Amino acid sequence: MSTTNPPEETMPDIEIDPRDLRHLADAQMNVELDTGDMILNLGPQHPATHGTLRVVVRLDGERVISADPVIGYMHRGYEKLTEFRTYPQITTLINRIDWLSSFANEVPFIDGAEKLMGVTAPPRAQYIRTMLTELSRIATFVLFLGEMSLQVGGITPAFFGFRDREHILNLIESATGGRFHPNFNRIGGIKDDLPWGWLSETRSAMQKVLDSCDDFEDLVAGNEIFQARTRSIGIIPGDLGATYGVSGSNLRASGVDWDLRRDGAPYLVYPELDFKVWTHPDGDSYARYMVRLQETRESARMVVQMLDQIPEGPIMAKVPRIIKVPEGEVWVETENPLGQMGYYIVSKGGTGPFRVKIRSASFSNVSILPWLLRGVYVPDVITILASLYFILGDIDR
Amino acid sequence: MGLVDGGALGRGAKKPGLLGTPARGVSWLLNSSRRYSLWMFQWGLACCAIEMGAALASPRYDAMRLGVIPFPASPRQADLVVISGTVTDKMAPAIKRLYDQMPDPKYVISMGSCANCGGPYWDSYSVTKGIDQIIPVDVYVPGCPPRPEALLQAIVMLQERIQLEGVGNDEMQQRFRGEPIVVGGARELAAEAART
Amino acid sequence: MTDPTTEPDTGAPRGEPVADATTEPAPELETAEPEPTGPSPLGEVAAELFARLEEELGDGIVDRAENHGTLIVRVRPEVWSQVARVARTRLECDYLSFVSGIDWLPAPKESDDGDGDTSSPAQPTEQTVGVTGGDTRFQVFGHVQSTRRHWGVTFKADVSDNAPEVGSWVPVYPGADWHERECWEMYGINFEGHPAMRKLYLPHEFEGNPARKDFPLLARVVKPWPGLVDVEPMPGEADDEAAPTPVGGDA
Repeated sequence: MSTTNPPEETMPDIEIDPRDLRHLADAQMNVELDTGDMILNLGPQHPATHGTLRVVVRLDGERVISADPVIGYMHRGYEKLTEFRTYPQITTLINRIDWLSSFANEVPFIDGAEKLMGVTAPPRAQYIRTMLTELSRIATFVLFLGEMSLQVGGITPAFFGFRDREHILNLIESATGGRFHPNFNRIGGIKDDLPWGWLSETRSAMQKVLDSCDDFEDLVAGNEIFQARTRSIGIIPGDLGATYGVSGSNLRASGVDWDLRRDGAPYLVYPELDFKVWTHPDGDSYARYMVRLQETRESARMVVQMLDQIPEGPIMAKVPRIIKVPEGEVWVETENPLGQMGYYIVSKGGTGPFRVKIRSASFSNVSILPWLLRGVYVPDVITILASLYFILGDIDR
Repeated sequence: MGLVDGGALGRGAKKPGLLGTPARGVSWLLNSSRRYSLWMFQWGLACCAIEMGAALASPRYDAMRLGVIPFPASPRQADLVVISGTVTDKMAPAIKRLYDQMPDPKYVISMGSCANCGGPYWDSYSVTKGIDQIIPVDVYVPGCPPRPEALLQAIVMLQERIQLEGVGNDEMQQRFRGEPIVVGGARELAAEAART
Repeated sequence: MTDPTTEPDTGAPRGEPVADATTEPAPELETAEPEPTGPSPLGEVAAELFARLEEELGDGIVDRAENHGTLIVRVRPEVWSQVARVARTRLECDYLSFVSGIDWLPAPKESDDGDGDTSSPAQPTEQTVGVTGGDTRFQVFGHVQSTRRHWGVTFKADVSDNAPEVGSWVPVYPGADWHERECWEMYGINFEGHPAMRKLYLPHEFEGNPARKDFPLLARVVKPWPGLVDVEPMPGEADDEAAPTPVGGDA
């Protein structure tokens, strides 16, 4: 293999993109007709952007010449605010980074603080954490499964998505007391044990989720129009996606077989579970839909497994009343519904952290947009944005 | 609405408020029509947007049975805007501009602690501490986030207020001098108790 | 669309025979002995990674440590952009996790350790510089990972207090674009070679670098945190308030 080209000379932004060539005829026609470029401002408030993302796209006819996402409309200054909070207070705050899967945000932070303190949560607490994490994943993905269809014009599945999400939110609420932001993790364990009847309720809810996944597969993924709007649209090559930091289902849909639940440093009870990591070779919007559909099913199966395996025992380890984390640094990462969520916690031995670097998944997932949107047509911008599935709070923090 | 403006038809309440004198005659009819066809512009910003989505789109809550129509394509078609979520200083000018585009009479529901006062980001360097600094608010819904039921309650309370409003120009202009509604607030709870 | 990572091992910059680094799966390699000069022994994978790094960077490396399973390497700021290339080629770290900065200035005093107020964080006031040490107030740090080998490395570099600047990672990891813009906006650390350094989050009229430790949160200055309050008085219960007015309008 030759080593003549240093990497910086082969970067995508100075190569000729084959997608540009594909539209050469269009461009030629536009030159003849003397059409000018048009700047279209999507957002900051636009139904297709799931919040307040603003994408400034320069158009040549219907084709996007360049796209520039403008973020920051939801920037709340998390990394600064964490320096002014104690560890238990931060749990409340970080629930609201990725608000669709609040519980999953708490887990890596608490995990990091526990690592620094040398505390391990008891097995039952770990099981409950894992179950609630997987439930948040399902709650996030069923909304996506419906919402994605909404963006290509099918309204009904969106109602299905909200209906199924309510099943999950009921479970989370009955266990934690919070419908949306549980704030349930404590350093050393969790706040409460599960209520009576929760396990059997969960089992039947998981069956409902599996059933409605079949519905989604028939209604949405099997739909001809849906496939025409998503197949071979918005293809992310796996290797390029990785250098952009695209993670989670978006990267797995590009054929990269990497899931931190299996491949990262062991956390929660994932090593004890039997699950499959789904990938898809295509990397297009359809692949992202299918991977999330399969992961929803896989999560439901994992929850059922855990219902069978959950041990008895205490739910809190011994921790001091006032949480003081010894001096040190730790990097923790978990596989959140939207991708890799990581915290780099620097502690100086106080009751609050000195610095918390929050690595959120959507930030990097969306940073590929300028590359990804180049050369696509305007309607496809909407499906690509929907299929990347980001949460504004997770981008802007 | 020349007849109403001129005062030839029944005038509304002297003082806008929950328990003011009900509007009479054509005003009553106009109010009743406005009350049950609120075109609601959804301004989903943060976590609350999902709860607003649940209130509007989920079969469990179904806000449309209350006469709320959540489909205006632009703020120029809307009567009601729900600001749900954190408003940052970067976002605030856009909110002001879209509010100005709405035709009168227009109503604002501020949903969630962030829109009310900054919420958990009270000390942040980039968050606007309450949208009432930039636009007038009719109903505050506390909670972080409020449950969808709370949003429905806010809509119902706003509808009651609309029913009692005068529809003349002067009275419309005086509307913001009234007290805002706070869902679950002491005043509203007492009014509720007085009614039952 | 092709991209350098598609050819997994283009280029060891110093003309290393590439086959050396890539044909042997890492965990099975004979592990390099822990550096006798190093502060702590490294694990098997970390030692292997560090051996490869040392081969490429030589005395560009200042310090290293293995911290809760992650190798942290502190390098000299001059080699910061070279680090990215080495990480992507020799360490096979194709995935960029993040690039960010840190300000080691002691935190402003929020609360005392012994005053019983647990609602506000208490911080030590002396300046320390983290696991691998440091000589300056600001550091940049970044984390890269390998999706194939499942390992990751954190790099750190000191930057000068007055004109903080290091090289950019964008030529190697295009995803570093936004991360570096964020770091520039939050800490004022410039990345030389970044294609378009401009504000990412904040409105353009915003002044200052908010993540610096000496940037005050004005809301806290204007209205200090009240400390531990068990129960707030109900409206009207506090002494300085007038008696509650009857509610319910004119009912």
